[in-house]
Order: sequence, then C-alpha cells, then structure tokens
Amino acid sequence: MARWRRFRRGSGDTLVVSLAPVELELLRGLPDQLQAVLDGPADDPARSRLFPRAYLDPTAETEDEQWQELVHPELLRERAEQLTTITASFGRAEAAGEWQEIALEPDDVQAWLGVLNDLRLVLGARLGVTADPRRVDPEDPQAPAFAVYDWLTGLEADLVDQLLG
Amino acid sequence: MSSSTSLSVAPVEIGEPEVVEVTRTDRPWIVVVWDDPVNLMSYVVYVFQKLFGYSRKKARRLMLQVHHEGKAAVSDGPREQCEADVARLHAHGLWATMEHPE
Repeated sequence: MARWRRFRRGSGDTLVVSLAPVELELLRGLPDQLQAVLDGPADDPARSRLFPRAYLDPTAETEDEQWQELVHPELLRERAEQLTTITASFGRAEAAGEWQEIALEPDDVQAWLGVLNDLRLVLGARLGVTADPRRVDPEDPQAPAFAVYDWLTGLEADLVDQLLG
Repeated sequence: MSSSTSLSVAPVEIGEPEVVEVTRTDRPWIVVVWDDPVNLMSYVVYVFQKLFGYSRKKARRLMLQVHHEGKAAVSDGPREQCEADVARLHAHGLWATMEHPE
C-alpha cells in the first residue's frame, strides 16, 4: 500500500493536500492574522522580518529608501494576493473519508508555500525562535503558538519535499 | 536554518576567486543571503533553484554555505539587477542584502 502523503500528485498539474477537519479550521483563521501584520505598524519586528532592508551598508539610507519606494508596493501586493489565493482554495475543500482534500493548481501551490513561510517568519519573530533546540513548558502561555509553529513547519517541509521530488 | 532531517555531505571545496582589474563602476555588486533560524534548508534550496535557475547541486552548496558560514553570495551583477534579486529573495522570505565590495 502506498504510504500516506500530506501532498500528493493529482490530475494534471495539481497537488492534492489532505487535512484533518481541525487542521483546515486552524488554517482558515491564519490569513487574516497575517493580513493584520501586513496592515500593521512598520516598526513591528514581525513585519520588518518580511520586509528587510536591501543595502547592507548602514550609511546607504537614501539608496535603501529609494529601493523601498520602488519595490515595497509590489512586495505587499504579492503577499496580499497570496492570502486571497490560499483563502479561495480553502473554499474548495471536499470531504474524502475523514479528511478534507483540496486540489491545488500551480499558482495555489506557490501561494500556499509563500503563506506558510510568511506565517512561520511572523510566528518565529513573535516567539523569538532560535536555531537552538527548545523545550516548551505546556503551561507556558506561548505553548499553543509554538505548537502551531511546529505544525506549520511540518506542513511546509512536506510541501517543499513534494516540490523538490 | 531549520532542518527536519540530518544532512551528511562532504565539505565544499571553494576555489580562490579570480582577481580581475576593473574600474569602480564596472565592479559588480553582490547579493548575500544570511542564515536565519526559521527558513527550512529544503525551502532555501527550492528558492535558489526557482529564482536563479541553479542546479540542485549548486543550490544545495549555496544553502549549506549559508547554514555553516552564516552567509553566502548567491548572485552578482549591476546594481539594478542586484536590487531586483534582493526583492525577489525578500518576496520569498529569505534574508538578503546587497553590497559593493571594495
């Protein structure tokens, strides 16, 4: 028997993602939270992580500001578009036994990848994630957020593995 | 970078860079990707292949250089091209900067 895969090839160019109903419900709530960060204050460290400066030289302020003016609206628009695309894909979920399945076209796949990664960058900045192994006390008020972060990490890793083949 | 699987690879051999005399305006800018604790190693390989058309081998070598040395130069060229490359890397959540080496 073929082993279960989170993402598997569907018909044509599609990838089919399988989610438990509770996972789909969790995912549905996340785009609005990411949109709130995009719409939020520019000095929010989570937002700055999504839009870092380009010029390494700290004295190149003028160059960096000019670059920001040039590219920032487009970067913001692309991220908002990905949120619209992933949200629309949630609406196409179909029950398959105990699972909810969504067929993802290539554009949907890129939106999923972008949103999953952005969510992890934002959560990672909020939680102060480092490269060191961590052990989170279940009583820690941040424990649920760490659990979501780890779950998103697994989801994204499965998607990238499928894309890399 | 974050990894869900262990990696076992031979050390990467990097040749000495060629020194070429060029004028200041001709010298290329370089785009550097920095290590961060969130982006998955596999994701970084995927992005390098997608954005620059690098082979899996080259993308993986650059990813490992970022992971082990903290940063890697991933592209170079005129200033405008590097600005565009940095924007594409930021669109994909990688932490990238550009510089003009002396």
